[in-house]
Amino acid sequence: MEYLKIANGFWLWVACGLGVAWVVFQSVLFLIKSIKVSKEIGITKTQVNSAVKTSIVATIGPSLGVLVGMVALLVSMGGPVSWFRLSYIGSVAYEMFAAEIGAQAGGGALGANMSATAFATGVWVMTLGALGSILITALFTDKMGKLENIMAGGRKEMLPIIAGCAMCGTFSYLCMDRVFRFNSQTTAALSGFIIMAVLNIWNKKLNKKWIRNWSFTISMFAGMLISIVA
Amino acid sequence: MNNKNDMSAYHNKYIPSIIKWGRATNLIGVLIAFLPGLVCTAVYGLKPQVAAVIGGFILVASSEAVFWIVEPISYFPTLGIPGTYMSFLSGNISNLRLPVSLASQTAAEVEPGTEKGTVITAIGIGVSVIVNILILTFGVILGSSILSLIPESVINALTNIVPALFGALFAQNVVSRPKTGIVAIVLACGIMILNMLGLLGWVPGDPTYVIMIVCVFGTILIGRKIEASDMEKAKEAE
Repeated sequence: MEYLKIANGFWLWVACGLGVAWVVFQSVLFLIKSIKVSKEIGITKTQVNSAVKTSIVATIGPSLGVLVGMVALLVSMGGPVSWFRLSYIGSVAYEMFAAEIGAQAGGGALGANMSATAFATGVWVMTLGALGSILITALFTDKMGKLENIMAGGRKEMLPIIAGCAMCGTFSYLCMDRVFRFNSQTTAALSGFIIMAVLNIWNKKLNKKWIRNWSFTISMFAGMLISIVA
Repeated sequence: MNNKNDMSAYHNKYIPSIIKWGRATNLIGVLIAFLPGLVCTAVYGLKPQVAAVIGGFILVASSEAVFWIVEPISYFPTLGIPGTYMSFLSGNISNLRLPVSLASQTAAEVEPGTEKGTVITAIGIGVSVIVNILILTFGVILGSSILSLIPESVINALTNIVPALFGALFAQNVVSRPKTGIVAIVLACGIMILNMLGLLGWVPGDPTYVIMIVCVFGTILIGRKIEASDMEKAKEAE
């Protein structure tokens, strides 16, 4: 039987739709709670609005990247499973890897000609392989706050320093990981870095609002353009 | 109004409620993740061999398992409590949730690691989850036949948005805390060069997790010392 009929079948859409709806439910619930508490702790409406606007800009670019990365997964795993996996727990690299291993374990190679059993094995392996970190966060996120307090030596004024240094280390890792690929991604990361650094240093003197608001968007797109022209 | 009263709603109501709901939604999320597999097997009668599924799982786990622990702990200070629950349920953490966390806190001019920073991050990540799902839903409706018509140059360009974004956000960190930024650059370059030279071969599995731990926790350890002593000096100068 043609597995793609199953992979794009009605009941699979229903199951995957429920999953996507669950993620939306959690986000909306947390958004409502966060916006409510923001008023009580003195965050202004302007601050919330600029966070929302920036988040939309910071999401659209990389999301389009996920979208084009999704094609290979769509061709082999069908619409519902790809849609579900990339809205739920996953990332393109992990899903391709897990689907490939699953399909192979099921006696096929990932692709439009695999057997229905290989497809189902892929679905099961993708599911099981992605549950680790969501279980860990479900059970231990509240304890991680305590770990952070220990790193701060129990001093509240140290917490922003710990968070700031952690962010710095995290983005250093993410950025240098691309720099060390020595391809067009290297150019993109370095150009993004240089443009942002120049805009930021320049703005320390000028202190212009539009530079602060747009420097991030400008550096992201300029870095990308330079990397494909260069 | 004094500052402590201001934050009582955050500590006494908001965070306990986020933990209760975060734990519940993520645990139920684990169960929901099984639905597509169950539908394949129960509705469509596809019965993959248990041995094949377990074998595949072990192969995936052998390269992923260490990240199940390293990623949540490394990213927690950036994402905060609500952001961690949301990010690990929705995925796409490095390319979407981490950048959004930093960018939205900068835009709202709040300090990371503070109560306000955590709430702004939660709002930013919540919005990003919804926007990402809207874009992917649109893509699935278009379908693979239309998506595959996108020219290669556009695909390459879109792929390079994420590295440019990482570069820009890292620059922002370096400009706002130059000393720690330089430490982070030295640590990252050092460990990545060691890896290129094959000197991390003794590490079990793919050494990426070691690189991540050195970058994040190395920067915390050294940066904390530098910034704490700068803070003391600033106090003494006053």
